[in-house]
Amino acid sequence: MSEAVVQHGAVARPVGGGAMRRLHLGTALAGGLILGFVAWYLSHHFLADTDDPEASNQVTSITMVGWAIGFMIGIGAFRGPWRWMLGKDQTHEDETFYAGKDQGIGRYFRFTTDHKVVGIQYLVVTMVLLAVGGTLAMMIRTDLITKDSRFLGPQTYNSVVGLHGLVMIIATIIMVTGPFGNFIVPIMIGARDMAFPRLNALSLWLIVAAIPVLLSAGFLGGIPTGWSGYAPLSDQAPPGMDAYLMTIIIFAISSAIAGANITTTILTMRARGMTWNRTPIFVWGTMASVGLAIPAFPMFMSAMVLLGVDRTAGAQFFVASAGGSPWLYANLFWIMGHPEVYVIVIPAVAALMEIAPVFARKPLFNYNAAVLAIVGIVGLSIMVWAHHMYASGWAPDLNGPFMLTTELISIPTGLLFLVVVGTIWRGRVWTTLPMLAVYAMLWNFIIGGITGIYLSDVPADYALHGSMFVTAHFHYTLMGAGLTGAIGALAYWFPKMTGRTLHKRAGFISFWLVQIGFNVTFIGMFAVGLAGQPRRVEHYASLFGVGNFVSTMGAYTIGIGMLVLLYAVVSSWRHGAIAISNPWGSKTLEWTVPNPIPLENFEVLPVVIADPYGYGEGDPALTGVGAGATPVTVGSGPPERTSVGSDGEST
Amino acid sequence: MSTSQLGDRARGWWQRRETRGIFAIWTVLTIALIAFGFVPSHIMGPPASPTMRAVEDTMTIFTIAAAPVAAIVWAIALYSLLRWRHRGDEIPTQDGPAIRSNGPATTVWLVLSSILCAFLLIWGLAEETAVARPATAANALVINVTGQQWVWTFSYPGQGNVESDQLYLPLNRPVVFHVTSKDVIHSFWIVQMGIKIDANPGESTETSVIPDRLGVFDIRCAELCGLLHADMETSAHVVNADDFARWVNANGGHV
Amino acid sequence: MTSVTIGSPDLHIEDPDVIGRRWRTGLLLLIVADGAFVASLIFSYLYLRGLNTEKAWLAAGQQTAAIWVAWLISGLLAVSALIFRWGQQGIQAGSERRLLTGATFALLVLIADAVIQVIQLVQFPFGIDTSAYSSTIYTMAGANLFHLLLTIFLGIAMVNRTRAHIYSDTSNWQVRLVGVWWTWIALAAIASALATSFIASPNH
Ligand code: HEA
Ligand code: HEA
Ligand code: CUA
Ligand SMILES: [Cu+2]
Repeated sequence: MSEAVVQHGAVARPVGGGAMRRLHLGTALAGGLILGFVAWYLSHHFLADTDDPEASNQVTSITMVGWAIGFMIGIGAFRGPWRWMLGKDQTHEDETFYAGKDQGIGRYFRFTTDHKVVGIQYLVVTMVLLAVGGTLAMMIRTDLITKDSRFLGPQTYNSVVGLHGLVMIIATIIMVTGPFGNFIVPIMIGARDMAFPRLNALSLWLIVAAIPVLLSAGFLGGIPTGWSGYAPLSDQAPPGMDAYLMTIIIFAISSAIAGANITTTILTMRARGMTWNRTPIFVWGTMASVGLAIPAFPMFMSAMVLLGVDRTAGAQFFVASAGGSPWLYANLFWIMGHPEVYVIVIPAVAALMEIAPVFARKPLFNYNAAVLAIVGIVGLSIMVWAHHMYASGWAPDLNGPFMLTTELISIPTGLLFLVVVGTIWRGRVWTTLPMLAVYAMLWNFIIGGITGIYLSDVPADYALHGSMFVTAHFHYTLMGAGLTGAIGALAYWFPKMTGRTLHKRAGFISFWLVQIGFNVTFIGMFAVGLAGQPRRVEHYASLFGVGNFVSTMGAYTIGIGMLVLLYAVVSSWRHGAIAISNPWGSKTLEWTVPNPIPLENFEVLPVVIADPYGYGEGDPALTGVGAGATPVTVGSGPPERTSVGSDGEST
Repeated sequence: MSTSQLGDRARGWWQRRETRGIFAIWTVLTIALIAFGFVPSHIMGPPASPTMRAVEDTMTIFTIAAAPVAAIVWAIALYSLLRWRHRGDEIPTQDGPAIRSNGPATTVWLVLSSILCAFLLIWGLAEETAVARPATAANALVINVTGQQWVWTFSYPGQGNVESDQLYLPLNRPVVFHVTSKDVIHSFWIVQMGIKIDANPGESTETSVIPDRLGVFDIRCAELCGLLHADMETSAHVVNADDFARWVNANGGHV
Repeated sequence: MTSVTIGSPDLHIEDPDVIGRRWRTGLLLLIVADGAFVASLIFSYLYLRGLNTEKAWLAAGQQTAAIWVAWLISGLLAVSALIFRWGQQGIQAGSERRLLTGATFALLVLIADAVIQVIQLVQFPFGIDTSAYSSTIYTMAGANLFHLLLTIFLGIAMVNRTRAHIYSDTSNWQVRLVGVWWTWIALAAIASALATSFIASPNH
């Protein structure tokens, strides 16, 4: 393995010694490029004596695997497992070094295990991905500005649409549970770190390794298939498709690891006294999301493995003439694909449910219903996938049953609305940016949800499937509820994560530009969809001209609004006013720790005596009785537990 | 609790300012949304088959059914912004009322959304049966549809295997399409008739319809199938039985 | 105020059992993920077999894989898992020697199994592109090989770490978790072998 490992085979050194400690993003890139090049050279040399597409797929895939492994070696990801295998565990000094102690800004560019560093890294990765996806969206809308602009041309257009979809989906999957799930959740539950800090860093750096792979698709002939990558079109696609499937394989591994880590953290590391009915709803939402991802993404990964074997080794999984079936792909894809949309939306809405009580100054309305709703959605969401395949003909007799399960989801989802509306009811509504996001969600998600109900109706879906109506539906949910919720969460936790105050005025301006632009864009898209414009077309009949023009104008408005947001975030992060530790008067634990947050979060671990929604109920610590609170005498707890400083914790 | 006590509570509740305010906004919104309910079917255009008519009715009915639900959410949101808003830059000094839950409200909400859901489901199942009916008609015309990158081919096995890249259909006669593909997945869509079914390589799928309006309608491919997916369009001509027979004969077939 | 603080700040005791339980949860979740992957492959096999698209699940006149080889591979895997568990019980009873013996033998059986798996892969009497059946068989064998290699890594670690005297009767949660994983891959291999024992499509 890496030379670094050999040097560190020796007994642990004092802080600062050893090549291992000099690994960072730069060495990772170098490692990736070197191994990628070696892999390319060897495979090219030994395989590419023919011009046949299979060989070039092999070369591309092998190169990418080389890149990914080289990158992970270069960042130091394999050091822990390697030393564990040799029976030479890391020392306490190693662990604190890895946690990023006393390393200043450099710790953000390393394999750092502190969950707060990982959270910030996730945030930056998310924003980069969103910016890429947003730029691609602007290209789509520019192409569609008139019926025949030919701004991109059909080939590029198809690729741009697919990349936009995939980049955005990946970005939105990680946008809440990555930054806030890692940074906020452990503090929120009163822990000093995640359950598996090293796996945490691993999940983040795997995504970083996957990004260049994903973007390289654009230069390898693109992906002609859209984000769903349907076979057999993807069988005959150029090597860009290998980049696509490799990205998803890496991403699936990353999210299984992240999911196991976050779920375990929440299951086993909540503070003393934080019973399930005192656990903040955002923690529930996070756990539901990552927990749902655990079984979902491996199925996507399996679809990608089969596709990869088809493309590189000539297997016949999706080739009908040899007994394969495109329906196999579609099933595997959507068994992941539908749960995934809830993976995206649940934590975003849960963040908004965390926000609503704070700014309405009222307890969360019907906490139990909120939890039940989340559980219900998770349970149902694995039984509805075939509503994406009503028109595929794979099993017409099952359309009815799938319509049933699909429509049932509206009951738990509706409960979430009741919870939010009930929380606002007669509150002292303080309309800060996070609170505005709650309102925007109430507007957008109703529209997105109800248009989903139209689509769940089998005959209506026969008419609307594959049209822009579907596209408008899912932007209303993904963006109107998902991304909006993430922006609300960012505005809410910004003071805690950066120690500074988000620029208020710019925040408001951006909010209104984005929300108005968003509604204009996608209401226009509903209209052309109803009128019969198919999805994924680069030019269209003149009938759809007006609607598309309106959409494009709306999209530009979103774009401007997002730039304002970006400006607000970047400038406030650098020069914003220093924030106090609890600027919103919230009651969850993360607001009890000082700014900047110490490495181990809590000097002394807290014991929870009430749920964090006791607004308007007086102070349970003073009166001794909160809702369901068991007062605990200070100083009577068991010995502390900490999560840093063990050497048993490895692999 | 006695009836009169219940009545008192209801009256007290009704006396409250927010109840009336929200009710007013809700009424306005509901009426507006119900009126809006007719917009989708209008945009979808005049239907060319009973199937499409059923779909457009569904859009209208679902919008109307959803109107009061959406309206209540939005009405409360709007009212809270108008009346319950805390103005200023500081944390509100006073908290709101500590309402943790409300049994009746939750029950009503759950019951209503379940009823709504049941209605949607029953409606959908009935509609699904209805639109499948032409498939079993005795006098159905059978047409084989083949998609390939990026053209449609229609052949009429009962008419001496007439082949065409334009679809001709006799008015008011049930048609059954057997749809397949030669390469990748396509999706056969007659827009104004509201039918769609994927064309899969190696499989034959089926859909059916009764065209009930004369005219020329749009056939589009609804599944991304590569470079010229956007151009994979053709027309469906619905003509009188006589004209249909003439067309078949002119193309070397027999009726 | 929804919390109070207790305890003294500089206690850094980390109870190994606490970490062990945490890892147990984490491992079970990862097994769920891996299980979803394995299940997808089995589903692919059964679904394609059931569909028999264009009657080409098996190519005309194609030879099929010898079923007993898959059973041999999964059987050996199960044996190695049992041997490992025997060693694991040893350390739980305080015998480091027994763990070392168990882990070493289990590892050797596992390596032999991986070799057989490779031989099976290169000696299939058909190519991966012959039919949907062949494609699935190759891929499932490949996935099993991947499991085996991963577990060989764990097995080597167990041997090394036992020799480094890391485990004792009170501190052995890692051994137990490796045992859990080992058992899981044996079950996965058995499930795959079972599915692939049914070759001909029921749909003619
Ligand atoms: C976050 C993302 C998200 C969410 C939350 C949803 C939510 C829903 N979606 Fe959506 N959907 C997508 C993302 C999402 N979807 C994507 C990405 C696609 C397309 C993928 C592609 O092809 O590329 C898609 C496609 C899609 C299809 C397939 C369309 C097609 O291709 O033909 C269908 C069909 O049934 C559907 C249905 C639904 C339903 C019923 C819900 C429900 O969960 C909505 C429930 C919510 C409400 C109903 C509103 C609130 C409820 C109440 C106020 C209570 C009372 C109301 C009633 C009882 C009705 N969606
Ligand atoms: C969450 C997912 C998501 C999001 C947010 C968006 C956002 C947008 N989408 Fe996209 N879209 C998809 C997911 C998404 N989309 C998917 C899955 C498809 C299907 C692809 C396929 O068919 O294969 C699709 C397809 C799609 C199409 C259809 C193409 C076609 O079928 O021919 C169009 C057309 O207009 C479009 C437009 C837009 C526009 C204008 C935006 C704009 O709203 C974009 C504006 C956003 C930005 C400019 C981002 C900037 C953000 C920041 C800079 C930082 C904020 C930071 C934090 C919150 C932390 N999208
Ligand atoms: Cu054929 Cu799209
Ligand atoms: Cu879905």
